[in-house]
Amino acid sequence: MATFNFKKREIECKIVYYGPGRCGKTTNLEYIFKTYKKQIAGEMVSIDTEGDRTLFFDFLPMGLGKIKGCDVKVQLYTVPGQVQYSSTRKLVLKEVDGLVFVADSLEVRREKNMLSLKDLHENLKSYGASIFKVPLVMQYNKRDLEEEGIPLMPIERMDQDLNRQLKAPCFSASAIKGQGVPQTITECLKLTLLNLQRQLKWAK
Amino acid sequence: MDPKDQIVSLLKEADLYQKQGLLNEAKERYKKATDIIKNNAGIKNGQELIASIVKKVVELNQKINTINQATSKPAVSDKKQDLIKKLFASSGEKKDGRHDLEGAIALAKFGQFDRALEEFERLLDDETVRVAAAKNIVRCHLESESPEDAAQSFERWVGDDRFSTAQLDKIRFFIEGRFRKLGFERELYQHEETVSEEDIEDLEMVSDSNEAVDTPGTDHGVESQPVVLEDMELPEEDEFLDINSVGIQLQTGVQKGRMIELDVSFQTGNSINLIVSSKESTLLGELEKGTELTDMQFFSPIAILNGSGVVTAKTQIKSGPKEGDYSLDITILTT
Ligand SMILES: Nc1nc2c(ncn2[C@@H]2O[C@H](COP(=O)(O)OP(=O)(O)OP(=O)(O)O)[C@@H](O)[C@H]2O)c(=O)[nH]1
Ligand SMILES: [Mg+2]
Repeated sequence: MATFNFKKREIECKIVYYGPGRCGKTTNLEYIFKTYKKQIAGEMVSIDTEGDRTLFFDFLPMGLGKIKGCDVKVQLYTVPGQVQYSSTRKLVLKEVDGLVFVADSLEVRREKNMLSLKDLHENLKSYGASIFKVPLVMQYNKRDLEEEGIPLMPIERMDQDLNRQLKAPCFSASAIKGQGVPQTITECLKLTLLNLQRQLKWAK
Repeated sequence: MDPKDQIVSLLKEADLYQKQGLLNEAKERYKKATDIIKNNAGIKNGQELIASIVKKVVELNQKINTINQATSKPAVSDKKQDLIKKLFASSGEKKDGRHDLEGAIALAKFGQFDRALEEFERLLDDETVRVAAAKNIVRCHLESESPEDAAQSFERWVGDDRFSTAQLDKIRFFIEGRFRKLGFERELYQHEETVSEEDIEDLEMVSDSNEAVDTPGTDHGVESQPVVLEDMELPEEDEFLDINSVGIQLQTGVQKGRMIELDVSFQTGNSINLIVSSKESTLLGELEKGTELTDMQFFSPIAILNGSGVVTAKTQIKSGPKEGDYSLDITILTT
């Protein structure tokens, strides 16, 4: 849940990157960390295993500066995507204000995307939140692999699989090259801040 | 596709998946490639190719094993533990016992039990969170599969004058409940003073003057009363009381006002799930997704609580022995 400090006119919100194991959540954050030095408010902390799988979470604090007279701070997190880390995943999701669902475009990961979305749905429900209400942006990642002849799911199919009911804004991306990463986070921030404006009326 | 091309593209896929950490997917591609080679005797260097693939698969299996065997919540550095504490203690910026307690709970949830235990032990000094800290110490021991340590902690607290009898009672109830769930049989030693006849007379005197007992310093007698509701600190999330069943009052129909008791089939934090028989048609008619229940009773092993809840899901069970009945999710709002 976002905190809004009336006195300091400061709002802090939490955005979580969710998705199946190895889909590129950490890579998204790494790209943001590398590229937007000015908006980064501290170090990126990754709690991961040796094989660079996220174990607990990645954390990246951002400061967007003043928006409508209010100092906007954002905490970006990634969850561990691997199935066995389900309890940690749920902990990280707690009190989320906005979500990016990173889907893996690899054909071999099709089912894993769907399972992960379902897992997200369940976890939100357990916190009394709804996947239909929390601001959410879809990202279809690893599109660069198309050129290499690796079998990918067509965007339309991914939309069918994952976004038919949600109808969330979606972006193709190659997190490793940074393509689509800024668009994804920008849209997610926009939706999240608008939603918080409706609830908290933080802007003047 | 020409088998040779097929093999080339399978191996390329497998290599990529392996690099991306998609080990099972990689393995499967290697296997497919091997099958094709085996089925096409004409492929040049087929045997060598298979040998090199086998080597890769062996390496993959090793990696998969290491990953499967790794503990999911290993201890991390102090600095990272500090961060976990800071990020996941949500009660704002106020630096009080409650805040510290939340930080320590976060550590425990991330499996950092040693550090969490240290912090909970420290929090036993803080009257406002003492019982919660004690329960969490118990929880840490149970999570790390050492119920005996939990029992021994309790027995230490019995001789510790920071704890009042009422507080000890609460903790004992809590531990006994957990032990029962685990099927762990262990009596908790709680020192009880032997009572002489004179004492009994004294006791009567105390209860005689009970009405005037509110003055400070004479809370004798009050202490040993059974747990009362106002006394129950309201734990959050996992700390939520275990609810065995709930009572819901009918609002309509001929039986208006009748209390229906329903068993809780499972509970996560403040969210409970109930099965309602299709025979309870009046009740079912009153309960829809979003329905607020302002007058509910929650039966926990230690107390009956009055409170409210909201129906968050209602679905009819489509198959199995409970076919036709309804599964209801209720989020407990206040107790
Ligand atoms: N080709 C390509 N590879 C990518 C892309 N994004 C991520 N990867 C690779 O996919 C692998 C997994 O990426 P991570 O960012 O660690 O994935 P994750 O979602 O954080 O994984 P978990 O922490 O296990 O849940 C790494 O080898 C990345 O280099 C992409 O856009 N294109
Ligand atoms: Mg990661």
